[in-house]
Amino acid sequence: MAQRPSPKSGGKVSRRDFIKLMAAAGTVMTFAVFADWGKFLPPPKQQSTERQMVELPDGSQANVNSFPVNHAEAVIFPKTDDPVLNKEAFRTWQFIRLPEELGGKTNDVSAFRMYSMVCLHLWCLWKYWPQDGRKRGECPCHGSMYDPLTGKAFAGPAALQAPPSNVLPMLDLEITSDGNVWIKPPNWSPNGNGVVGYGRFLT
Amino acid sequence: MALKFTFPGRFVSPLGFLGMLTFVIFIILGITGALLMLYYEPILDRAWDSVKNINDVIPYGFHLRNIHYHASNAMVMVALLHMYYQYFSGRYKIRNEILWVTGIILGVLTILEAFTGYDIIFSERAELAISIAASLTNSIPILGPQMTEAFFGGGFHDFVLRFYAFHVFLLPIAMLGLMVVHFPRFLVFDIPMVMAITGAIMLTGGVFPVDMGLKFDPNVPPGITVPEWYLTGLYAFLRSAYDKFTTGVAWPGLFIFALLIIPFIDRYKKFSWKDRPIITAIGITSLAQIIVTTYWGFYIDPDRTKSLLERLVIDPVFLYLVMILLVPLSFGFTYMMIKLARNAEANAKIQPKKPTTKSSINLSEKWIYAIFVALLAFQVYLNIAAYYAVLNGMQNYSLFIIGIMMLVFAGMFHIFRHGKSMQKAPPPRPTIPPMPAKAKPPSLTQPGGPEAPQIAANTKVLGDLAAAEKTLAPSAKGSTPSSQSVQSVNKTESPSAHSEQKLVTDEKK
Repeated sequence: MAQRPSPKSGGKVSRRDFIKLMAAAGTVMTFAVFADWGKFLPPPKQQSTERQMVELPDGSQANVNSFPVNHAEAVIFPKTDDPVLNKEAFRTWQFIRLPEELGGKTNDVSAFRMYSMVCLHLWCLWKYWPQDGRKRGECPCHGSMYDPLTGKAFAGPAALQAPPSNVLPMLDLEITSDGNVWIKPPNWSPNGNGVVGYGRFLT
Repeated sequence: MALKFTFPGRFVSPLGFLGMLTFVIFIILGITGALLMLYYEPILDRAWDSVKNINDVIPYGFHLRNIHYHASNAMVMVALLHMYYQYFSGRYKIRNEILWVTGIILGVLTILEAFTGYDIIFSERAELAISIAASLTNSIPILGPQMTEAFFGGGFHDFVLRFYAFHVFLLPIAMLGLMVVHFPRFLVFDIPMVMAITGAIMLTGGVFPVDMGLKFDPNVPPGITVPEWYLTGLYAFLRSAYDKFTTGVAWPGLFIFALLIIPFIDRYKKFSWKDRPIITAIGITSLAQIIVTTYWGFYIDPDRTKSLLERLVIDPVFLYLVMILLVPLSFGFTYMMIKLARNAEANAKIQPKKPTTKSSINLSEKWIYAIFVALLAFQVYLNIAAYYAVLNGMQNYSLFIIGIMMLVFAGMFHIFRHGKSMQKAPPPRPTIPPMPAKAKPPSLTQPGGPEAPQIAANTKVLGDLAAAEKTLAPSAKGSTPSSQSVQSVNKTESPSAHSEQKLVTDEKK
């Protein structure tokens, strides 16, 4: 409208067009504030800045001196006071101490891995099998298999998915001087620790 | 909004008001759904148990859940039939395109509504459906992961709660809003047909009561499950290849987009399917592909010695080859049908016009009363039977009986209408057919379906000597099947009749 000059205005924006433009701009400016309200939809991520302990199913904290080599436990993270939420599959993680040949003997963080148990294919819960010849994560549903060293799927349907959906989300760990294992505050993004049920970019 | 409801005084073909029937089923779903909300709990570990409670413990919970479930299937089915009827009869040309466009969006929302419905039971199958939906959303380039978080939330607890919110409020509200735009101003509200649909839903619930499925446990590998029938077509594509975006988002998106723009592509000036060969052929192609993939999605190799993945995966080359092959087949079929129909029309013109004699069994008033009383007695009996079936825990049997009661009511209402129009009508003259075909009261034999008028016409012709002589002559001349079909088309077609009935009889051939 504004491009087509009316004969009177001689190429300039007419008064009527100008007022229309102002009205449109006013409308946009009035409702622009609600664009940010889209943040209501995704649930807030627990961005705690404090480390949390690796609490084993028996209630004790995982310790580098007592946790056996080539062994895994299911750990709830982030843990809440709500027993229903603690049952949530998206909060279950596999805490693995690697087998000897992959460096599980060393007494530092490199011996441990913590991956989301939610299979990247169709969200069943996979788990680590320590038996000789297996020593890998296996999903009971469609047979996806995960490398315990990196969390990358190497067989089954999950392995065929495009990145980031072929690598399990992984939590960063740290070990204090008393040998206790802690979970560092996670960065829930595909480029960080990954998104549960979606995956992580392997860097 | 000036809505005008027409309560037809005689039997009219339900093809013309399938949209209204969809709305009626929507209302049934709204009522049963609202009642189910009283007991359903959208909480991670209680969703399935609350549905089980409704199903097994709450009195008549079984009935309501089954009606709700089967009505959802019926709604998708009737909406699909409605769409294809409008498509082939070219009715979207009558009013502006907004009716068609809103209709397509309503159809998509209907499927989403049904999908969210069977997910909030949170059985094994529901979990698989949710995870597939989430992975499809994730596969959308750039915005996918954000959209997943925004709509699905982060975790099973969120999924159940959010799908519930979508299912009971957001989607129905959106559908109601679209319906306001979508509704034409004149609606046919045919009570016998509405009751018959309700009865059919209940009968189906009685014969095939919906099961609970297994409660989802992330540690237990699920059995092989397939989605509901309206999604198995999509599922067949998902099973074929691993690129989720192409198979699960792009193909259905393309399909919906193609449907949306059909009225803008269809530039034929005429309405009938015979006069719009390319559009009809495209419709037949889509129908053929939907039917084939829907079946294919259900089919899982029964050989249990093979691995699960081997049984599930469909060879993409095979699938796409069949899809491509269906195109020339459907086009050939369509053009053949059009040619046959044209030949039939031409032959019909050559033959002498028979007097348009339609229907029927003419019941006298005395017999109408007798039948009414008998049906009333039958309803009393069915009431008692339904009550005792529930007392004895035979839930699905009682649902079945109630379905029959609805059908009997449809019949009763039909006879009532028939009797009323008989009272208004002038006394019949003995020799000639008493009234022009249009104003004639319907017969009991008519509501049987599209072939009913044909049967009625046949019986009448047999009764009428003069007409019988006329029909005997051509059928004696040529006894080939094609001339037979010509006759039937000719019979069903009254001069003023729409092409609807012809369309039905032709498609049946």
